[in-house]
Amino acid sequence: MKPTKNRHPDRLAGLKTWARINSPWVLHFNSGSCNGCDIEILATLTPRYDLERFGIKLQGSPRHADVLLCTGAVTRQARSRLLRIYSQMHEPKFVVAIGSCALSGGVFQGCYNVLGGIEKVIPVDAYVPGCPPRPEAIIDGVVKLLSSLKAPQGGDGTAAHASEMVEKLVVEHEHR
Amino acid sequence: MASDIIKDLLVSLAAILFFPGGLFLLLCGLLYEWIDRKLLAQLQNRIGPRWFQPLADVIKLLAKEEVVPEEVDARLFIGLPIVALAGGLTAALYVPFAGLAPSHSFNGDLIVTIYLLSLLSLCLGLAGSNTLDRFSLVGATRTLTQLFSYEAPFLLALLGPAFAAGSWQIQEIATYTETRWLLLSQPLGFLVAVIGLMGKLELPPLDAPEAETEIVAGALTEYSGRGLAIFRLSKGVTLILGLTLIAAFYLGGVSNPAFFFLKTIALLLIIVGLKALFARLRIDQSVGLWWRYGTLLVLIQWLGMFLWGGVMT
Repeated sequence: MKPTKNRHPDRLAGLKTWARINSPWVLHFNSGSCNGCDIEILATLTPRYDLERFGIKLQGSPRHADVLLCTGAVTRQARSRLLRIYSQMHEPKFVVAIGSCALSGGVFQGCYNVLGGIEKVIPVDAYVPGCPPRPEAIIDGVVKLLSSLKAPQGGDGTAAHASEMVEKLVVEHEHR
Repeated sequence: MASDIIKDLLVSLAAILFFPGGLFLLLCGLLYEWIDRKLLAQLQNRIGPRWFQPLADVIKLLAKEEVVPEEVDARLFIGLPIVALAGGLTAALYVPFAGLAPSHSFNGDLIVTIYLLSLLSLCLGLAGSNTLDRFSLVGATRTLTQLFSYEAPFLLALLGPAFAAGSWQIQEIATYTETRWLLLSQPLGFLVAVIGLMGKLELPPLDAPEAETEIVAGALTEYSGRGLAIFRLSKGVTLILGLTLIAAFYLGGVSNPAFFFLKTIALLLIIVGLKALFARLRIDQSVGLWWRYGTLLVLIQWLGMFLWGGVMT
């Protein structure tokens, strides 16, 4: 590679990271939650908490979103949908698991019909515990995720790893 | 001799690329998008985004992965956003932007400018119908339906000042309106022009083509990364050019840069107020609004103008 190809790689990467941190568009997916966490997510997005201050916007299309907000213990039925939504999102992408069920299965842990947590299906970047977590806790989780991007090789490294993992999972899913 | 030609070429290149066209226009588009979002937030009792928000959005989108979906024409998928932005930037050459005289002008450039501005909706419609996604298709159908409904009244509304000035050249109309507030003599035309601009930009309550609660993101559902960023930029450019045209025609001229920004921002405030006030119309309702009321109002305006002209002479 020529040394003159990209003279300021650090500065360019810094600009990209700055833009990513300041403009996270979120997508909300319910993978079999009781709707408690979903109501809290909606409350977080209302004018009272005004997430547009931080550039956070709710998007309808997975193609536009950067952060997937997941709730619920992932029922067997929701598994393929969750995988598809995740693979429809474009790199770099991040996942926040919201609520006790999304973290560990919560009270549904061990049930025959749930997988018990988002991380059993797709890689998760931040966890927000609570049943349901308050809007402040959700904001805190997203801010922690964003501040982890500032660390060297925070974003792209995990994203590349995650996409490999998902490809494996999709192949595995199709074989079933 | 040769150096003069080169110098002229460089000057006009700089005018197109940096100021007042090109980069400056794009940045102004982002600035107006921020003002729009901030005012809307204030009306909704929120704090609203920070001043660099639209810039951060665009940079993030440009740095994002872009995937061309299966079964689409890749050349169209990549080319359409560029054509939309190019249409807006070309229209800027004929518009008295930021208080400066338009860099190009010929008799009849008003019609050309209006057609260049509607390239955005056309490209959105084609971009949506290019993909197989059902949300994109519905969004594209609605975008094109809306294009056919608002375009005629919008054109008629902008032709009112042209008739008053007796010219189809934007520069001459702008000179004519410099001393006259046509808002006072043609209030109906002004109203239709403002709402026509909202229809062009798919702003609420005329945002059925991109209704995110029913058809995800409309025609742009499959777009991400660079394509989405360019479409957002061209929407910003169209917004600012539309505001400029209406302010120049109806609000007493924009030859002074300070007045230009004051008047366009006042116009933006009206649009944001309408955005915050009204809920989304169904697509058949917005078509009905245009053909039943919009066109009729402009025609009444024209009738009044001609009768008044007949009485005066």
